[in-house]
Amino acid sequence: MKMSNITGWKDVFTFTLKQTLKSRAFIIGYIIFIVFSLLVFPVVNIVLDSDEEDEGLIKIQSVYLFNETEITDIDFEEISNLEIAVNDLRFITENGNYEDVLEQIEKEDKSSVVLKITKDEGGYFLHFTKSTSGIVKNAELEILGNTVKESFERAIIDYAGVSDNQLEVVKSQVSNRVSTISPELDSEGQEMVIEDTSISYNDYWFLYGILFAFLMITIMSSSKIATSIVIEKSSKVIEQLLISVKPLAIVVGKTLATLSAVLLQFVSIIILAFISNYVTNNRMSVSKSNVIENYINPDIISNLEVGNILICLIVIALGIIFYATLAALVGSTASRLEEMAESLSLFTIASLIGAYVGMGAAGSLVGVGDNPFVYFALIFPLSSPFILPGAVLLGKSPIYITIISVILLAISIILLFNFTAKVYETLILHTGNRIKINELFKMAKNSKEGQVNEK
Amino acid sequence: MALSVQNLTKKYGEKVVVDNLSFEMNKPGVFALLGTNGAGKTTTIRVILGMLSYNSGEVLWEDKPFDAINMSVGYLAEERGLYPKYSLLDQLLYFAKLRNVPKKEAMNRIKYWSERLLVEEYVFPPKTKGVKKSKSNLADQLSKGNQQKVQLMAALLSDPKFLILDEPLSGLDPVNTDLFKQIIREEIAKDKYLIMSSHQMPTIEEFCSDIIILDRGKTVLQGNLNEIKKGYGRVNLFIKSDKDIAQYISQFGIKIQNKTPSEYHLKVKDEEQAMALLAKLIEEKIPVVKFELREPSLHEIFVEKVGNVHEDE
Repeated sequence: MKMSNITGWKDVFTFTLKQTLKSRAFIIGYIIFIVFSLLVFPVVNIVLDSDEEDEGLIKIQSVYLFNETEITDIDFEEISNLEIAVNDLRFITENGNYEDVLEQIEKEDKSSVVLKITKDEGGYFLHFTKSTSGIVKNAELEILGNTVKESFERAIIDYAGVSDNQLEVVKSQVSNRVSTISPELDSEGQEMVIEDTSISYNDYWFLYGILFAFLMITIMSSSKIATSIVIEKSSKVIEQLLISVKPLAIVVGKTLATLSAVLLQFVSIIILAFISNYVTNNRMSVSKSNVIENYINPDIISNLEVGNILICLIVIALGIIFYATLAALVGSTASRLEEMAESLSLFTIASLIGAYVGMGAAGSLVGVGDNPFVYFALIFPLSSPFILPGAVLLGKSPIYITIISVILLAISIILLFNFTAKVYETLILHTGNRIKINELFKMAKNSKEGQVNEK
Repeated sequence: MALSVQNLTKKYGEKVVVDNLSFEMNKPGVFALLGTNGAGKTTTIRVILGMLSYNSGEVLWEDKPFDAINMSVGYLAEERGLYPKYSLLDQLLYFAKLRNVPKKEAMNRIKYWSERLLVEEYVFPPKTKGVKKSKSNLADQLSKGNQQKVQLMAALLSDPKFLILDEPLSGLDPVNTDLFKQIIREEIAKDKYLIMSSHQMPTIEEFCSDIIILDRGKTVLQGNLNEIKKGYGRVNLFIKSDKDIAQYISQFGIKIQNKTPSEYHLKVKDEEQAMALLAKLIEEKIPVVKFELREPSLHEIFVEKVGNVHEDE
């Protein structure tokens, strides 16, 4: 491929980008994305805050305690000072009639509860009773119950006279380990221990999120690219363009312009989402909890180094170029818009194979950790753009695998581009029925047979 | 020599669509590329313009390989094309930019041509306060004729030295046909090189000095139109008379090509035969309203040449 074949791509890029940004479909889509990005965190926070209000801010005023056990040294002071119990929770040890106290909270003291601690052969029971029509909610009692239970368990241990050391011995973890008679040794002569390389479900969802975002970008951009090319073909504008620029310059200009428009949408979504999250947490959220930080593994944040980010961006960019070129190629096999869906089937199959292999690799990382299938997914050009960026951020892609993956992806793009260059001249002026895949290969073969006008 | 096409061959697989085509344009003017549907005219144009590669031969402009992208070329394609949903001004500026015309100059030329071609109201739709933005500046809102005018504007925006017009007058009403013809005349007067492809033979005769007739990719006739006609001789005789002259025609053994109630179109051997017939009619005191002896029209030559090829098969 000669560089002169793409001369003029900047003009095509500028015009296509300008017209795409001016189009009604883009503007409406963009507004929807912006509104979604700005509203998603306030809405999530409102939901979480309302949940937290239900679960965290205990409205229980007093706990009337009827303790019928020998365990009496319970630290109620600690429970009262719990972060979640901010409403001056009081524990009142009762010696009176249990039924009378129940009647009292049913009729008058509706924000209080009764706790009766009993013991039988099965163990200890913490029995909470609340007013039938009171403001105390079950969620509040559940939190209180768990907290009281923890304090009561500590009181039991103290009562039994178990020291901290004894307790540590009792709580020691017991693990299994299997090794061979002649184990593999490391450089220091120590037996090599096989690491657990599996990932958590949170990490899986992180991988899945990146994979899904990439799939969305490729599908959105590819359909736009293909549509744009088919419109130029069906409206016959293409001949007007071809006296000024080469077919490949049109492909490059249109592809990059469409990608820029789609990336603009996605980058805007991400930036606005972070701004929305920041503003929401600092201005709106009652609990000041950060939704993004709550759901992203801290290891990922620590992996956000310049090198890793650069690798991710390179892989994503190469992946998008690969799929966009494929979409441009198969999109140009159609001459009419109604044929476009059919012509895009090769692109759809390729992208789905890539996405499913990526998903399979992410799933197997959860189950068994690093394995040959994961490495295959990381270097297979169809799946690597989907899985590699997330894997790099999770530290699950060794550097040599990352390098091989990038090289293979780059080679695939060069091969695809060369193939496109061979057939695009004929494809772009073709106005008949949709060209089938086997005909594409025939065209590429024919183009090798001595065409003399390759300027 | 401006344009030189030598031994040009283009194949699609095994099918030869342009077969060893050669022609030259030595001086400014209009060169006609003629042929039946599917003869290879549009493919030839696309090959010359570099849109399609070719299998053998060469295309030169001023003794250098023809490079449409880097030279002054305008092209009105047979299949008219404008972006249906983009504003006309935007796309005209885009086409001008692709031909390296500076924006200010492009704007001036767009204004000039839109006034000239009477499409100013579509290219520069008037802005009226309080009225919703007009959609009339979108290509799909224009009539076919107006789209064709905008397309011609796009071809002329770079003020090209070499202009290819593929079926420029098809689908135009008489008023717009005259407008297009006037513009073509002006371009010829500016010493430009034009290649015109058309099925309208009178138009070709009106503008073209040299022609080439293609049939299924092969050249069946080529040369200067006047010389081609001279070669045929003045053998077309048109006689208009109020009386039936069929018996006198048959006396001279002249072939009747066509006959209307008052006019005969005859094919004579030579001028002497025509004059002998005229002398006989005068002698018989037959009133002759019209007596025209002329060379065959391009239409007749075209039908004869292309028809001959098909008959030979």
